[in-house]
Amino acid sequence: MQKNIFLHFSRELVDQPIMSTLIRKYDVEVNILQATITPNEEGTMFVQLRGNEEKLEHALGYLVANGVDVMVKPRRIHFHEDLCTSCGACVAHCLPGALYVEEDTRKVLYDEDLCIACELCIPACPFRAVEMAKTSVGGEV
Amino acid sequence: MAKTYEEINEKIKNKQAVVVTAEEMISIVREKGVKKAAVEVDIVTTGTFGPMCSSGAVLNTGHSTPKIKISQAWLNGVLAYCGIAAVDLYIGATEVARDDPLNKAFPGRFKYGGGHVIEELIRGKDIVLEAEGYGTDCYPRKEIKTLINIKDLNNAFILNPRNCYQNYNVAVNRRKKRNIYTYMGILRPDMANAGYCSAGQLSPLLNDPYYRTIGIGTRIFLAGGVGYVCWYGTQHAPNTPRDENGIPRGGAGTIAVTGDMKQMNADFIRGVSMTGYGVSLAMGIGIPIPILDEEMAKFTSVSDAEIFAPVTDYSHDYPNFTGNPLDWVSYEELRSGKITLEGREIETFSLSSYYKARQIAQTLKAWIKEGDFLLGKPLETLPGEGSEIKCGKLKYRPV
Repeated sequence: MQKNIFLHFSRELVDQPIMSTLIRKYDVEVNILQATITPNEEGTMFVQLRGNEEKLEHALGYLVANGVDVMVKPRRIHFHEDLCTSCGACVAHCLPGALYVEEDTRKVLYDEDLCIACELCIPACPFRAVEMAKTSVGGEV
Repeated sequence: MAKTYEEINEKIKNKQAVVVTAEEMISIVREKGVKKAAVEVDIVTTGTFGPMCSSGAVLNTGHSTPKIKISQAWLNGVLAYCGIAAVDLYIGATEVARDDPLNKAFPGRFKYGGGHVIEELIRGKDIVLEAEGYGTDCYPRKEIKTLINIKDLNNAFILNPRNCYQNYNVAVNRRKKRNIYTYMGILRPDMANAGYCSAGQLSPLLNDPYYRTIGIGTRIFLAGGVGYVCWYGTQHAPNTPRDENGIPRGGAGTIAVTGDMKQMNADFIRGVSMTGYGVSLAMGIGIPIPILDEEMAKFTSVSDAEIFAPVTDYSHDYPNFTGNPLDWVSYEELRSGKITLEGREIETFSLSSYYKARQIAQTLKAWIKEGDFLLGKPLETLPGEGSEIKCGKLKYRPV
């Protein structure tokens, strides 16, 4: 099982070894896709967590209990299958492989579970078949 | 034993023609050999779908009362060319809408242009026509603003000066730091990706490399309707170096095409927005190739592994016209998603839809099998290897 989550660390948390504890104690795979610390030292991180359901639940519980703001799938893209021509211009820009060419049919498919909403596909699509979904913090409007 | 166009057309009318796609032909020739395939197969259908910038449409709006001789016109805010008769317009695929910020905030998004106007016309949408004239005795009206719809136009036909490039470049970016934004897509720095644009083994001119059967009058699938090859395309370059199998090692032959827009289907003709570059039009084209003899059976059995495209640096070599490809790679490698260049694996992406190319070849096959679509015997084939037609540099003579 995989979850794409967006984490926010307040100023008090940025010097804590939270991610390393998460990996060592909760036995989940962590793939950090994006991480920033702002000048006033708040931290944000976009990560993919992989593990079985129970482990993921415990891991998320640990983050919340330690004061990390956790948003599951905070952003989304909309893939308009009807506008897609299956050219494939997006695929080399999609790092997690959420947009991919199905080998037999040569059709471009979209796997929402793999999407990290990095938005790199949007300018790459000549047919405007992908766009950002309107979102607010915590989910889709 | 050679076949004639007339014999094949007779078979089509009797619904007895054996039609296969260029993809299917590969395995037929592999299994049965060229000789047997040439006897059994009558027609091989091809297909391609991709951005083809040198495209546009001729529209005749009909006259208003009083009449106007249009000297400037916009369709949904996109400038159309009016330097022809009073209410004839030419809307070009790459014309950008007048209020577009272009590349002022780089890279521009180029959301709307001529290609989109053509798509929307074909979708049956109303389009705003704004036109001006200077007024004459015979055409007194000086301005008009009205909705137009394809169903009310006297004429609407595609007239594309260059489509269906026979082979094409593979684009990379050798710059170290930044993305470049090209008509071949967004190219990441340090050759992190490579863009290509051909249907390869399904592509029309790659299945008839010496243009033995394609020329003026060839009847084709044009964006879901029936169209024709009307001339060789601009920049037609039959003298491009070729491999032993006749396949050019880069862009070579091209065709000019025309066809009635009222028959077309927007699934096969789409406006294109290339970030940082501009707008264009993706065209879907399919050409039937008669298997007149063994040579044509051999040509149409060409596979992606035997077609090589030149890898070109679009950060330097392309804009400066140096003509130095970095290497050649096959479409088989390109379609696998990765090529090896200078010892590195590089991710590839396509701008041409193989999925749609296949749909087009299959649709054309069905049309011919149903007896609805006859072969057009070319009045003249395209200028071939050894002809004087060339694609040279501008002879620059500053004044």
